[in-house]
Amino acid sequence: MVDELGRWAEPGLLVLTSLANGDKHGYAITNDIAEHFGVSLGPGTLYAALTRLEERGLIEGLPAEGRRRPYRLTASGAAELSAQATRMQRLATLSLGRLRLATP
Amino acid sequence: MTADPRLVRALLACYPASWRRRYGDEYAQLLCDLRIHRHPRLIADSLRGALRAQVSPGGPLMSFRSPMTAAIGATGLFTVAGIGFQKLAEDLTGVAGAVYALLVAAAAVALVALVAAAAPTAVALLRGRDAGARWYLAVPVVGAAAWYGVLRLALLIARGHGVHSPANLTGFALIAAAGVAVVAATAWAAGTVLRRVPADQPRRLRPAALVALAAGMAATTALALVWGLRVHASDPAAFHGDQGILATPFLPSWIGVLVLMAGATVLAGLAGSRQLAATR
Repeated sequence: MVDELGRWAEPGLLVLTSLANGDKHGYAITNDIAEHFGVSLGPGTLYAALTRLEERGLIEGLPAEGRRRPYRLTASGAAELSAQATRMQRLATLSLGRLRLATP
Repeated sequence: MTADPRLVRALLACYPASWRRRYGDEYAQLLCDLRIHRHPRLIADSLRGALRAQVSPGGPLMSFRSPMTAAIGATGLFTVAGIGFQKLAEDLTGVAGAVYALLVAAAAVALVALVAAAAPTAVALLRGRDAGARWYLAVPVVGAAAWYGVLRLALLIARGHGVHSPANLTGFALIAAAGVAVVAATAWAAGTVLRRVPADQPRRLRPAALVALAAGMAATTALALVWGLRVHASDPAAFHGDQGILATPFLPSWIGVLVLMAGATVLAGLAGSRQLAATR
């Protein structure tokens, strides 16, 4: 993910995760991430991530609803999120397993 | 609209025009939804986002194709700051003289670095590789002549008036605005010439020169900081008095000059790093 999304890795991953269960506009993404991850993404950070993800074809903007534009995860975005989640799951399993071994 | 519309417009204006065309409406709506006027932290985050958009590889300040344009812009900004510093220091010639001399030397290093970076283009221009581009050389000359005309006009306006009188302030504003306009026009002309004149560039010259440019600016900025601190230590009355630009308090003038110099240094540093990355 770091290689793919560079410095925006963490906000980018959060945005992909937020869009995984449905299309959302910027404010809804911000609230979703705050509610589920306890991370408060500022507007500049959020749109830097949205811009980068859209440039890489991982998300796409849908027709605007008034002045709010919802975003949707693309097939590439879903594949990327799945790959990253699998990698993180493997890392978490390995870390917890080794910690259990190290703890008497 | 649930946020201060002027604040939203101002925050949006910090982003590049191309970015605003694509994301402007929805971003303004988000700022309103977040009630940004109540959250200084979110305002700071928006400003950071705007800066990133401006200096991103595709952004207007930092196109990979034109780091030299960014360096020219940085030099223009640095020139304005330097004129401001000179104005600030002109009444304090006896204070921190050694630091002042070092500062001038550091600024000279930056100037030489810029000349070195532009030298291949200048040679190509003199050899007539693009005859039409020579017209751009007239821009600083005509600009300086126009500025001198404005100066004479301002002196006429301000003659016989006190330092803080409306007439004198108007005259100063005219001189300053004309000066900034001439610097901006010269930077534009230089940037245009550098883009359009084909020149044989030694591979390592421009990256090295732009890094030296940024280093010279950084040293000048640091020395301007030290100079002000020396003024504070050796002449507190001047530091806390009305020795600033146009007989205003010293401190805001000094800080303003430092901020401009630091901004120019950051821009030049980014240009240097982009040029290095493009050369690798």
